[in-house]
Amino acid sequence: MKKILLLTIALCISISGYAQETGSVLIKNGTVMTITDGNKADTDVLIEDGVITDIGKDLSAPRGVKTVDASGKYVMPGIIDAHSHIAAVDVNEWTNPVTAEVSMEESIDPTDINIYWALAGGVTSIHLMHGSANVIGGQNETLKLRYGSNMDGMRFEGAPRTIKFALGENPTRVHGQGFDVKPRTRMGVEQVIRDHFDAALDYRRNRQEYLDAKKAYENGNLDTPPVPVAKNERLEVLVDIIEGEVWVHTHSYRADEIVMLMRVFNDYGIENFTFQHANEAFKVAPELKKNNAYTSVFADWWAYKFEVYYSTAYNASILNANGVRNSINSDSGELIRHLNHEAAKAVHYGGTSKQDALKMITINPAMQLGIDDKVGSIEEGKHGDVAIWDGHPLSIYSIAEKTFVDGKKYFDRSEDKDDMRLEADAETDFDEGRSRWYNENGRQNNTCLRGAEIRFTKQGMKLNQSRN
Amino acid sequence: MKSVRTTVLCILLLMVCSLQGWSQSSPAEAFKNVTIHTADGETIKSGTIVWRNGVITSLGKNANIPFDAYVRDGGDSLHVYPGFIDGLALWGSPDIENDSKKPDEPGNPSYARAGIQPDRVPADQLKFDDKVLEEAPKHGFTTAAIGLKGRMLAGQVDLFSIDGENTKDNVLENGIGILAQFEEAGGTAYPSTTMGVMTTFRQLFNDAKALRQQQRYYASTSGNYSAPEKDKVLETLYPVMDQDQPFYFVVDSKENIERLFWLQDELGFEVVIVSGKEAYKKADELKKRNISVLASIDLPEKPEWKKAEEKKEESEPREELEEVTEEMRVFRERQLTAYKADIQNIRKLLDAGVKVGYASNGFKLADIQDNITTLKEEGNLSEEEILEMLSQTTAEILGYGQKMGDVATGNMASFTVFSKPFSEEKAKALYSVTDGELTEFESKSSN
Repeated sequence: MKKILLLTIALCISISGYAQETGSVLIKNGTVMTITDGNKADTDVLIEDGVITDIGKDLSAPRGVKTVDASGKYVMPGIIDAHSHIAAVDVNEWTNPVTAEVSMEESIDPTDINIYWALAGGVTSIHLMHGSANVIGGQNETLKLRYGSNMDGMRFEGAPRTIKFALGENPTRVHGQGFDVKPRTRMGVEQVIRDHFDAALDYRRNRQEYLDAKKAYENGNLDTPPVPVAKNERLEVLVDIIEGEVWVHTHSYRADEIVMLMRVFNDYGIENFTFQHANEAFKVAPELKKNNAYTSVFADWWAYKFEVYYSTAYNASILNANGVRNSINSDSGELIRHLNHEAAKAVHYGGTSKQDALKMITINPAMQLGIDDKVGSIEEGKHGDVAIWDGHPLSIYSIAEKTFVDGKKYFDRSEDKDDMRLEADAETDFDEGRSRWYNENGRQNNTCLRGAEIRFTKQGMKLNQSRN
Repeated sequence: MKSVRTTVLCILLLMVCSLQGWSQSSPAEAFKNVTIHTADGETIKSGTIVWRNGVITSLGKNANIPFDAYVRDGGDSLHVYPGFIDGLALWGSPDIENDSKKPDEPGNPSYARAGIQPDRVPADQLKFDDKVLEEAPKHGFTTAAIGLKGRMLAGQVDLFSIDGENTKDNVLENGIGILAQFEEAGGTAYPSTTMGVMTTFRQLFNDAKALRQQQRYYASTSGNYSAPEKDKVLETLYPVMDQDQPFYFVVDSKENIERLFWLQDELGFEVVIVSGKEAYKKADELKKRNISVLASIDLPEKPEWKKAEEKKEESEPREELEEVTEEMRVFRERQLTAYKADIQNIRKLLDAGVKVGYASNGFKLADIQDNITTLKEEGNLSEEEILEMLSQTTAEILGYGQKMGDVATGNMASFTVFSKPFSEEKAKALYSVTDGELTEFESKSSN
C-alpha cells in the first residue's frame, strides 16, 4: 500500500509543473547517510520516477531500472546551497535602495557551466539570490540543478518565495555614498525598511478600498466612482512579506544590526527569516534562537571589508550549540564546488558532530528554503536528489562520483568530458573560450555585489557599474 | 446679393478645379523587354510592366502599353524585382542621447531617462537628409518600417516609401507598432537589469490601466471627481493593451524569447519579433502563438580556422595549419555546429511554418549582399525564398500584403530594376521605382 502511495506521489510530481525529466535508479550497498535517521551501512536506495520509494537491504531493481553499485561508497542527499549567484544573468538591480519587484526567476541562465561544476561537488539545489546592493533587493529563486533544461525546468517547484534584504556597508555605500540617497548609515537602513513596510500597509488598505468601491460602483451600490489605485509591483511584494508569503533572507554581518532587524520584524509580525553571512551571529546566538531565526554562514571567509573583521571559524559551531538552525553556504562559483569541505571545518574548528555538520549543507538549508519536506535527507517519499561519494564526504580526500536530481543522473565523473558546456558560441575561438571560463568563474565572481562592484582608490570608495 | 453671387462663383470654380484634379492623371510609364521576377519566384521573360499614379496597371508578356506611356526598353537584359521591404530599419534615427549623467534619484528617473518613450514619432524625429535613405534604393529597398534608436520602449514604428530626402513626405502609415526591447536604461538609472525591465513593463501596464479607468470615470461623471493627470506615455500604450497595435520586439536569445512569452501571457499584447537570431530554438512555439519574425541576416563570422582550412583545400598548401589537440578538435567541432545552426535560423523557422520577413535593425546595407550569398550557400535558402522574405512576407507581416510586396497588377508601383538577378555578384540596381516615382542611378553605365 505504502509503495503504491509513493509511486502515486512520484507520478504526480512527474506530471505536474514543468514536465521535468525524472529518472529511476537502484543504488546498491552503499553507506547511506540519511541525515535524519543516521548512517545505514550496506544499504540500498531505490528511486523511481524521481522519488525515493524504498531504503533497505537486498532490494531488487524493478524491470527497466538500472542498478548502480555503491559498495565501499557513501550515498548522501544532494547538497543544498542556501546562498548562490551561479546560473544568473543579472544579480543586482542596484539602482534603487528597494527593488522588491524584481525577481531572480527572470534572471536565470540555465546554460551556465557553473551548474555542472556545482553538480560535480554533489550539489543538487541552490538558492539563486539577488545581490546585496539594496536594503530590500529582489526576490530569489530556488533552483534544482537540472543542467540542460530551460529556465522553467530549473525551478524548484513548490519552494516558497523568498527575498533578499541587505544591511550594513553594501547598501550604505552603493546608495548613500554612491548616489547620495538614503540610506547613508545603518540607522538609515532600518528606517528605509520601516518606511517601506509602512507604505506597503497603506497601499494594501488603499488598494483594497479602491477594489471594494469599484465593485460597489459597478453594482450600483455607490453613486460616485472611486479614484483608481494602480497595482504596484513593488508594494505588492512587500505586502506579501508582511503576510508571511515571502520569506526573508538578509545579508548581514554585525550583531547589532542582526538584533535591530529582528526587532523590526517583530514589530511587523514577520516570522520566517534567515540571516545570511552573519559573521557576528555567534555574539547573539541566544537571541537568534529566541526569535526562531535561521542563519546561513561561511565556514571561514572574512576580512574582505571593514564590517567583516570581527569573525571566527567557530561561528557555525557556536550557533549550532545554541540550537540555531544554521547552514553553511558558498556565495561563490568556486566554494560551491566543495561545500563538503566547508562543512567539515565546523567539525575541525568547533568540534561540531559530523552529523550536525552534514545537516548544515543538507536538511538545514532545506528548512531555510522551505523545501525540507522534499529534499535534504534520504527518506522514502522525498525527491531522488542524491550524490554518491567515493569516501566520507567530510574527508578532504573524498570526491563526488555521481550526482542525481529527481533520480536522473546529471553528473558522472567517469563520463566527464573536456567540454561540458551546453551552448557553444559560433564566434568564440578556442583560446578565448578556454581562458574565459576559468577567468570569469573564480572565487571572486558570482558573488553578492556582482553588477555593482565597489573598489577602493586613493580618493576613497568608487562604485563600478558593470554589466554581466 | 453681390456677395452671394461671388460666393457661388467661387464654389463653382473650386468644384471645377477639384474635378479637374480627379480626372487628371499623370502619364503612364512602362518597362518593356525586361525579366520580371514576382515574389513567389515566378519569372516572366520579355515582360512588360506598366504603372500610373503609383499603381501597377498591367503586367505580363503581352501587357498593354497605353498610348501616353513613357516606355523604357530593357533590351531583355534587365531584371525587375518587387521592391524590398525592411521590416524594421533605424535609418536616419538620431543616436541615443548621452545618458552618462546620474539622475538625482537613480531609482526614480524620468520616463525618457529610463528609456520609456513609446510616444516618440519617427516621422517627427528622423534625419531625412541621412545618406542611407538615398543608398537604400540602390540596394533594392523601396519601403521600410522605421523606428528610432532607443531603449526598452523606443517609440512608434512608421512606414515609409523610401526615396532619399523625399522620404519625409512619403509616410504610408504612422504607428504600425511600438518598438520594444529588453534594453536597460543607460548609465546609472532604473531599470539596470533585464529583470528590472520585465517588471517595468508590468508596472507601465498597471499604471496605464488605472489611468484609463480614471479617465473613463471622469468622462462619465458630471463633477465631484478628481480629474486624471495627462500622461502621454501611458496613453500611447492603450492600443497595445487593446491589441490594436503590436509590439515590434527586438529579441535574439532563446531565453529572452521565453521571457517575452511570459510577458505576453501576462499582459496580453500582440507581438512581432524583430531580429530573432536564436528564434529557431523556439520555432514551434512561435508557430503555435502565431508570432511572425522579422529576421536579422546579421550572421556570425565563419570561424577563422575553418576559413583557413577551406583556403588550404582550394590552393597549394603553402603554410601548414596549426597543430590541433583533441581538446581543440572537440571545441571546434562544437563551434562549427553552432555556426551552422545560427546560419540556418531562417531555414528552420520556415520549416516550422513561421512567417519570416526581414529587418535590418542597424545592419549595414553594404553587408547585405555578402550575407545573402551566405544564406544561399550555407543557410539552405533558395533565391526565391530570400526574395519572398525580403518582399511579400515582410509586407504581410507589416499588414500590407495586399498592397505591396509583389509586382502585380493593382499593387503599389514599388520595384527595382537590376542589371542581373539580384543575388548575383555585381548585380546593380539601375532604377528604383518608389510608389510610382522613378529614380535612375548613375551606375547604369555598367549595363
